[in-house]
Amino acid sequence: MSEHTPRMYERFPLARRIEHLVMLLSFTTLGLTGLPQKFSNAPVSIAFVHVIGGIENLRSIHHFAAVVMMLGTAWHILVFGYLSYVRRTRFSMLPSVQDIKDGWQALMYNLGFAKTFPQMGRYTFEEKMEYWAFVWGTIIMGTTGFMMWNPISTVRFLPGEAIPAAKAAHGGEALLAVLAIIIWHMYGVHIKRFNKSMFTGKMSDADMLHEHPLELADIKAGIAERPVDSVTIRKRQRVYFPIAAVLALFMLGGVYGFVNAEQTALTTTDRRIPTVVVFVPQTLTPAPTQTATLPPTETPLPQPSLTGVPLGTETTPSGPASALTWDNYVGVMLQTKCGTCHGAAATAGLNLSTYADALKGSNSGPVIIPGDALNSLLITKQEAGGHPGQLTPEDIAQVIEWINAGALEK
Amino acid sequence: MNKWFRVHTFQLGLAGLALGVLLLLVVVAFSQSTSVLAAPQLQGEAPSNEVCLACHQQQGMTAQIGGQPLTLTIDGAKFEASVHGTENIACVDCHTNISGFPHPEVTASSPRDFSLEMYPTCQQCHNEQYQKVLDSVHQTALAAGNTNAAVCTDCHNPHTQTRLTNKATGELLLGARLLIPQTCAKCHSTIYDAYRQSVHGAALTEEGNQFVPTCIDCHGVHNIQNPTTATFRNSTPYLCAKCHTNETIMKQYGISTNVLNTYVADFHGTTVKMFEENYPDQPTNKPVCTDCHGIHDIMRPDDPQAGIAFKKNLLVKCQQCHPNATTANFTDAWMSHYEPSPQAFPLVYYVNLFYKFFIPAVLGGMGFYVLTDIYRRFIARPKPVKGETQK
Repeated sequence: MSEHTPRMYERFPLARRIEHLVMLLSFTTLGLTGLPQKFSNAPVSIAFVHVIGGIENLRSIHHFAAVVMMLGTAWHILVFGYLSYVRRTRFSMLPSVQDIKDGWQALMYNLGFAKTFPQMGRYTFEEKMEYWAFVWGTIIMGTTGFMMWNPISTVRFLPGEAIPAAKAAHGGEALLAVLAIIIWHMYGVHIKRFNKSMFTGKMSDADMLHEHPLELADIKAGIAERPVDSVTIRKRQRVYFPIAAVLALFMLGGVYGFVNAEQTALTTTDRRIPTVVVFVPQTLTPAPTQTATLPPTETPLPQPSLTGVPLGTETTPSGPASALTWDNYVGVMLQTKCGTCHGAAATAGLNLSTYADALKGSNSGPVIIPGDALNSLLITKQEAGGHPGQLTPEDIAQVIEWINAGALEK
Repeated sequence: MNKWFRVHTFQLGLAGLALGVLLLLVVVAFSQSTSVLAAPQLQGEAPSNEVCLACHQQQGMTAQIGGQPLTLTIDGAKFEASVHGTENIACVDCHTNISGFPHPEVTASSPRDFSLEMYPTCQQCHNEQYQKVLDSVHQTALAAGNTNAAVCTDCHNPHTQTRLTNKATGELLLGARLLIPQTCAKCHSTIYDAYRQSVHGAALTEEGNQFVPTCIDCHGVHNIQNPTTATFRNSTPYLCAKCHTNETIMKQYGISTNVLNTYVADFHGTTVKMFEENYPDQPTNKPVCTDCHGIHDIMRPDDPQAGIAFKKNLLVKCQQCHPNATTANFTDAWMSHYEPSPQAFPLVYYVNLFYKFFIPAVLGGMGFYVLTDIYRRFIARPKPVKGETQK
């Protein structure tokens, strides 16, 4: 081969290179955001989800990339239609028996059983294999992706079991696709020989001779492409473009339906934690003793005061002495101050709850001797001091006055 | 001698330090060995329980606090039988402000207020539990002004509380578990009613089954957390899994221990798990165990009325989040904790089986070809052949 600048042949026009880039980016994104969902237990998956900003973000990115890939696929179909109808190019990507023969010969050559490497055309058996694997993968991933994205619509036609089956297939196919790209594609175009033609669009005659010798021969012979005159092209375009437009609309509608058929699987209803009234105390049966002493009353209990005038009662002009009876002041005062022990509990037999009980006295006999305060046990006990529940001197004075006045009830 | 000290200052310091650390360790070890501290020793002559009971054992003793009666009668026999009685705790150990008669005036405005004033006295012996309570939802509610919120004495009547845990091991005594739901029911009666109907509650209250969860197994003791937070909800699968992945417990009922794995392997569980790992305190709308199985009213899946093993019942659960799902076969979109097999979810099983062979077959073929290519291209480099350029 000559040393001067090699002659370059156009292999991929710009549109195809952009298409490849779009597929490359969306495929990579789908793989990166999909596999962590398949291997959700792996710490690296969890770390990746954290970097992305959460599982919801991860899914949104995955869905966005899926839409990009669907649009890329739609574009590819339109280009295929254009090339096959308007340009009438050869279906050079179609697999043939020759590919199997080429593959076998290549393998035999690698193993040393064949003398020569197969001579191949525009697309080698390796490239065709990858292309059709991608087609297969896109169909599987698109179908199962739709089923997971729209489970309710899917189960109108299919059993519910189809959804987890779709998930299983989506995950299995994803793993296969990613690993196939790494093994087959990475080796085939990056390691074996770094084939830059998908980015530059061009290939040198040396590389052409090595990889696509039959196509090079066709190009040199001038039979690689069927010549079509511009008039025919324009005539065919007038037929194809309207059809392509309708087809494009249908496909766009399909993508729109794919994304928007139903909402529930993506943005489900807000789950609120059910609110319940938690404090519902059991109703207790009232303790029998609670009514025995002072029953709780609606009206506040009169509070004894130092002057002997119960609060809440009328202040009489005649003074407290004239009103000093059991019902007025004395009874209430004794119940309040002594009732804890000498109420229903009747410690030492003394119950001061009622006038009658009070006059009955204690186990030691009467404690109130009307008219004789000094000999009343209640007074002698209290005056001695130190009694649990000791009355104040003022209280004692009032009780003495009451007893000496005859210890009246009313 | 002085010279020896001067020479060995460093060694002495080191020995002193070691001794100090050792002492500290001993102190720490002893302080942790028991969660209940010894009753404080009172200074001087403290009145014995007999003195207090002389009055307080009488029937019908009540005091009026803020117009409401407070029972002052103590059942001496019950107290003797209580854990405090058996541990010889004196009345005045808790009622620390009382040393004789007359008693100091009660400043509380109501019997409830009196309880709220009294319960910090428990801290004297039960500091560990007291500190935990400070971190509880009850204490939060109390701090927010809800005086109904439970304090120590609402669950543990100090005058009658019998021993609940093994003194040496701290484990719940057999029989104590039966009392727990009744205790919580004092305030949470409607929740108790729901629990009693549930598969867990019925087993406990009707059969005396002590392996089923009571309130505290999910909510904790003392440091009970708010169960309505996102954190609590997100951790629900692990909470249920504590028992439901335990082979010993589950085999008594013939329940699979694979429920967590199958949950995490499915759509919802994967999402919740990945979410929970990264954002444990953020709300997510994906379902956790309780969303389908219920919270306190958990039923057997094969319960004839409400069991979610029946599609029509499960569909109702699905519709909580998927309101447009109206066909019963939608429920099969969730594998109901089944692992795919030729019997259960065969389609899923065979898809998995297909890829189990398809992936290695394809990749194996590709890998083999690539290896032969590497061999030929980089190892056994062929000599340039006529008509071919070698790069």
